[in-house]
Amino acid sequence: MKSSIVPSLLFLLLGLIYTTATLLLPEASVGRPFEPKIFPLTLGIAMILLSLGLMARELKTEEGESSSENVPFYKEAGFSKILLTCLFSLVYALVFDKLGYVLSTMLFLEAELLIFNGKENWKINTIVSLAFSLFIYIVFSKLLGVYLPMTPVIWI
Amino acid sequence: MDTLQFLFDGFLVALTPMNLMWVTLGGFLGTIIGMLPGLGPATGVAVLLPLTFSMGPTAALITMGGVYYGAMFGGSRASILINTPGDGAAVAATFDGYPMTLQGRAESALAISAIASFIGGIFATFCMVAIAIPVARFALKFGPAEYFMLFLFALSATASMTEGNRLRGFLATILGLMISTIGIDGQSGVVRFTFGVLELQSGIDFLIVIIAVYALGEVFKSFNNIHTGKTNVQKKFGKIWITREEWRKSVWPILRSAPLGFFVGALPGAGGTMASLMSYNNEKQLSKHPEEFGEGAIEGLAAPESANNAASVGAMIPMLTLGIPGSGTTAVMMGALLLLGLQPGPMLFQQQPLIIWGLIASMFIGNIILAVMNIPLAGLLVRVLSVPPKILYPIVLGLSFVGAYAISYSIMDFYLLIIFGLAGFLMSKAKIPSTPMILAVIVGNNMEQSFRRAYKISDGSLGIFVGSPICIILIALTVISIAYPVFKGIVDKKKKSSSPA
Repeated sequence: MKSSIVPSLLFLLLGLIYTTATLLLPEASVGRPFEPKIFPLTLGIAMILLSLGLMARELKTEEGESSSENVPFYKEAGFSKILLTCLFSLVYALVFDKLGYVLSTMLFLEAELLIFNGKENWKINTIVSLAFSLFIYIVFSKLLGVYLPMTPVIWI
Repeated sequence: MDTLQFLFDGFLVALTPMNLMWVTLGGFLGTIIGMLPGLGPATGVAVLLPLTFSMGPTAALITMGGVYYGAMFGGSRASILINTPGDGAAVAATFDGYPMTLQGRAESALAISAIASFIGGIFATFCMVAIAIPVARFALKFGPAEYFMLFLFALSATASMTEGNRLRGFLATILGLMISTIGIDGQSGVVRFTFGVLELQSGIDFLIVIIAVYALGEVFKSFNNIHTGKTNVQKKFGKIWITREEWRKSVWPILRSAPLGFFVGALPGAGGTMASLMSYNNEKQLSKHPEEFGEGAIEGLAAPESANNAASVGAMIPMLTLGIPGSGTTAVMMGALLLLGLQPGPMLFQQQPLIIWGLIASMFIGNIILAVMNIPLAGLLVRVLSVPPKILYPIVLGLSFVGAYAISYSIMDFYLLIIFGLAGFLMSKAKIPSTPMILAVIVGNNMEQSFRRAYKISDGSLGIFVGSPICIILIALTVISIAYPVFKGIVDKKKKSSSPA
């Protein structure tokens, strides 16, 4: 199987799921019962047709034209860093409210700078992450009036 | 005349010290973001959006306008000096700008790019003053059916203008529209596509999608091409100005490219990238020395810079007068307007003229401030280019999360940010363009609502969508926008096969 049809397969799957979900929607109690379904149903069908069209085109184009020079994205050097960034972001989201903005952001940036800038530059990394989180906290929370969660105990 | 009176009032608003400060600050920060490889005006506005949350609508718009122009100026700095365009619109500036730097003519390149951008921007702002009110008046004639057809035309034009595969452009559009249908349906109260997640009932905020795709997605892409070594940026400059001879060469290309850029920018879906490339090719064809293009011809830098800035102003017209963003950046600005509780469109001109004209006046002022900032201070500003991206990208990540949080104070948005950021990265790997999706996410809800309203008015008959001359013209335009590229592709193929190279 050619790897170039994977995106169109995913879109086809999405189109099918979306269309099914549309048909399963409850009827509206006001107005025409099927009215909330018209627009989504059109979208679902359009996506199924377009993804089939894309698949047909990918199958027709000759092998090698697109895939010869391309390394699959998950084998590229940066991909593990992307996954790490997602992981750090998840942790960031989990601790954001509990640790407060300054502390959680400092940890998140420290971790990100570790990926980007390397551990040998830990001094710069620490200065940057501390300065950034404090600066943003002061600007947003104190000057712009945007609420950011406070870090317990130290009250900033 | 009303227009002049409005414009005058607008200047009174834009020239208050606070607003002057905001446009300068926005321009400065925008320049820094625009200089980062891969990050352009759309990212700049998206990431700096939270700055404006506590401002009034006028100040917010003016600040974002400053960020917009700043990021464009910054993008061309990076194109000229280190050959890394911030976004598609700055690509044309590398063709001749970078060779000029290599030849030791960076001073002229920086100066002409600022001058050309300035002239292009000012020219386009004058055009905007002239046509904004007539367009808005005309748009008042639109009913829901006309609006629906207009959305349809704008989206299909955007999708079919995507470079490469148009099918992918349309798929991205549908995906964006699907995202916009998540949540409670405003007219019937039916909960759609939330899959039981309570937080999704109010829908997915398009600003989250925008920040995710334009900030997180772009940073993810940069992981693979971050330079490990230090980039050598020229930091010492002579006098940043151009010679009389260089001015003579560039003045006509600049003046020719400004109207072209404005016109292309105002079309839905075309935008700065197409405008700058078109003007570059134009000038190359008109030139007596086309062989100099690509080897450091100053007019090859001046023309796209002028067109690019003119296009960025032109793109504001459909956004402000019709509520239809024509480019990624105007989509972000429209998102911000909606967040402030303002619905862009003809009614905005009637109800809030000061906001609109304050913004238009600040375009004049912003262009002047940025030109002033960029010519004498260029040497200082490019020092930012020597701050390693390795440090700036994590900061962009940090700013994205603050921005996402400040929109609705919900951690749920962090998860959405990660999901859509990853999706944006995967889409780019599958060569699926993100801009059509972003536009669709923003207009999707209005599009469905106008469809439903028209459908109600006509009591369930679809005839209303072909019931007025405006509708029929829009349908014709939609068909042309889809058919023309297909037709052109076939003709090109025939030409190729009949005359083998």
